[in-house]
Amino acid sequence: MTPEEHQKYQARLWIFYAILGVIILTLVGGLGFRQIIESSAYAEKEKRQNQRRILTPGPRGNMFDRDGRLVVANRPQFSAVVHLSDESIRRAFRAEYLALVRDHRERGEKFRSRNLEIQARANVIQSYLDNINLMLGRDDKVEARSLSRHFETNTYLPYKIIDDLSREEFAILLESEPINSAVDVYVSSVRHYPYESAAAHTLGYVSTSLLEPREGLPGSDLRTFQSKGIFGRNGIEKFYDTELQGSMGTEIWTIDVNGYKFSDPIQRIFPRKGNDLQLSLDMDLQMVAEEQFDKYESEGALVAIDLNTVEILAMVSKPDFNLNDTSPSFSTRAFKEIEERGAWENKAIRRPYPPGSPFKLVTAIAALKAGMIDENTVFDCQNQMMVSGMKFVCHSGNHHGEVSLRDAIKKSCNIYFYNAALKTGVDLLSQEAIFLGLDKPTGINLPNETRHMIVPSKEYKKERHQASWYPGDTANMAIGQGFLLTTPMQMALLTGSIARNEVITQPSILKQSPKELVMRPAPRPLGLPPSLHKAVVEGMEKVVQDGDGTGRFANLRDVDGARIAGKTGTAQVRRKGGTIEHAWFVAFAPANDPQIALALIVEGKNLNEGHGGGTNAAPIAHYVLRKYFEKHPEDLRPQTPTIANVALP
Amino acid sequence: MFRKQLVQFRPIIALVSVVVFWLLAPVFIKSLLKTTFYEFQAPVSVTASYIRQLQDFWSGRLKSKDDLYEAAQDLARLNAAYELKVVESISLEKEVARLEELLQLPSRPTYRYEIARVVERDFNSWWRRMVIRKGSVHNIQHGAPVVFTGGVVGRVQEVRKYTSVVYLISNIDIRLAVVLEGDNRVISFTGAQSTAFGNPRGLAEYVPTDIKISDPRNPPRLLTSGLGGVFPPGLPVGYIKNLRQGAGGMFLDADVELDRRLTHLSEVAVLTPILESNP
Repeated sequence: MTPEEHQKYQARLWIFYAILGVIILTLVGGLGFRQIIESSAYAEKEKRQNQRRILTPGPRGNMFDRDGRLVVANRPQFSAVVHLSDESIRRAFRAEYLALVRDHRERGEKFRSRNLEIQARANVIQSYLDNINLMLGRDDKVEARSLSRHFETNTYLPYKIIDDLSREEFAILLESEPINSAVDVYVSSVRHYPYESAAAHTLGYVSTSLLEPREGLPGSDLRTFQSKGIFGRNGIEKFYDTELQGSMGTEIWTIDVNGYKFSDPIQRIFPRKGNDLQLSLDMDLQMVAEEQFDKYESEGALVAIDLNTVEILAMVSKPDFNLNDTSPSFSTRAFKEIEERGAWENKAIRRPYPPGSPFKLVTAIAALKAGMIDENTVFDCQNQMMVSGMKFVCHSGNHHGEVSLRDAIKKSCNIYFYNAALKTGVDLLSQEAIFLGLDKPTGINLPNETRHMIVPSKEYKKERHQASWYPGDTANMAIGQGFLLTTPMQMALLTGSIARNEVITQPSILKQSPKELVMRPAPRPLGLPPSLHKAVVEGMEKVVQDGDGTGRFANLRDVDGARIAGKTGTAQVRRKGGTIEHAWFVAFAPANDPQIALALIVEGKNLNEGHGGGTNAAPIAHYVLRKYFEKHPEDLRPQTPTIANVALP
Repeated sequence: MFRKQLVQFRPIIALVSVVVFWLLAPVFIKSLLKTTFYEFQAPVSVTASYIRQLQDFWSGRLKSKDDLYEAAQDLARLNAAYELKVVESISLEKEVARLEELLQLPSRPTYRYEIARVVERDFNSWWRRMVIRKGSVHNIQHGAPVVFTGGVVGRVQEVRKYTSVVYLISNIDIRLAVVLEGDNRVISFTGAQSTAFGNPRGLAEYVPTDIKISDPRNPPRLLTSGLGGVFPPGLPVGYIKNLRQGAGGMFLDADVELDRRLTHLSEVAVLTPILESNP
């Protein structure tokens, strides 16, 4: 080649080199761009494709009563499970599917692949289950559709083939199944209620539903599989669900191209148990109260309050249900049975009743505060009186004659309170009931407290019934009938307020710490001068302590110093064909230094059947108060004799 | 030239051929070869074991008469104590049987004890197993529990004609249903990895949260539950150490310290359930 020719080729070669250089630079640049600039984006994409997140719930916190006894706990539920993402299972599924296809082809039968897949999975898992059945002497069967659903939606979660293994069966599986088998033993947490139906409505129940991933858990951008968590549906379980709920556990797994777990998890956070709660309930009192209701197959409600802390000591609602029937799952049979018995409702806070005669105490307080009566005011009871042309009678045809405030309370004389209320007027009477908190929920830390309590007034009647208020309405209201509606919880607080001569509010179902007690809202004074307050209390004492008092079945004569102040009542509710009578009893004790207040109602069962607070409700209170003083003898201090004592024969 | 090169590669070709044969060989051939290999190897191990036993015998013979007399006296005292215990035990067994009959409880299996000498021990951190000098001719069964004076040793994993392989409880493939002394809640026990020739360890799962190690010098003891159907109840397994939060958040996990004698056992007993014949 001549130098000219060489030069000519050399020039072309440079052009070629330049083009080649540009191409290489482009490739290197592109490679660099993807490897350096876009590397994090690709890594993220790869992570999303190859990683899966599994969320598991943490066990819920326990509940203890005020003495530290376990009231709600977690019980381990032992299960036999199969890990469907295990490679050996995958191979077995495939082999079984091919065998089924071959069989169908040999028989010349048509088939749908989807059906054969479901069948193959069920056959494989059934073969594992048959082995376990043989070991445990059981006869469990795999449900093909549920298995397939689980395989398609929750591949990475263990599939339960037996979920109620006994302790012995669990032990047999532990020793018989090889550790690296696809079949494993699995322990999950289910709610357990050692006291069964006691305080069922107050404690509440739980049910399972899918977990909602919590903020801040790793792998939030990954495809997530979550187990079912346990959530409170009623009572304390619902109200304090956030506190009781354990923190979720997280596992992040790498999966292979077929979607099966690969190696060990790349990240694991163990679930943690939720917070424990100490309740204010005293299970001794609770059990005694429940036993008394059960003894006579009574229905109704009871609330007992610690007057120093305004904590709930016992809360009963009958009929009730065994909480263990709701866990680990609610059977349709149990659900229907509870529904049929009408046992869902927590009557202590949900059901408003006419307050009956215990409301006479409010009438007395209103009249005393308004100056319409004093402790010595006397009214003549001739069994009946006319109000606006209508006849109003005293109960049971009694002629009480001239009665004072104390005797009126003791004898529950309607005529006395008709007169006191008519003198006071509905406005002041309503105002007093509202002042005592009977018009609104008590604010107890439980869900679903009713808002349907009623303290009637002229405006109320006009608005709701488009009618004017008559003196007869005032008379009805004076004895706790008419439009009035209150809950047993409200009546217990009312009784506590009278006992302490100050209005107490916001009862608590949790045991309060000293700090929380200091932070409680300060009670408002009731507004009764001590001498008048004493007269009301003495009237209430006579109800229980006098041999002819209406609440004499509640007294604790044999317990030194346990003087009880109470008030009986019978609330009438009109039904088609007659009336139903509900028996009320409210009380506090000891009368001179109140520590405990309670209110209870025993519902009448049959139309027009006689039912009274003294005979049906007071005996229950007797046992509850006896138990309380057995446990707290320090609350019984020597008492100075009262007028009621002197009046005893 | 090519032939010369081929000759040089002969060992590699042989190796590759063997590997290929092994990969392609049917399972029964592999199984046969494996068993044959062990059965041929067994006499060597057993002979070595007999030689060791002979050595022990002669080292015993070298002891003075005074030493032997003293040892015999100790043994006689021990025997007397055991005889008393046996009488006590028989009486207790009768009482238990009476109560079981009264309460109509199912009778528990009784076991035959087959004493076996240890041929060799493999205590590297992976295998944790031992070979004993009893096999299928002595009616040793696969999965049978193996015990010694200190409690559980493990389970028979392979049975050959004259020897058997026992997986120790420190082996990670062994799992037992155990309970804590004085408690009846079932706990899962598995072997755990430990350093080569280190003390044998285990892992306890599903330990109830109320279990505490109040006195580290006297930690809670794990016993066999008897519920799993393999081991009789009440055999010591180990002691609980280092409790920590378990995986599910509901139970604790615990490290288990096993009996140190497991690493130098010379004699064990294989338990074989005696099945009651139906009338």
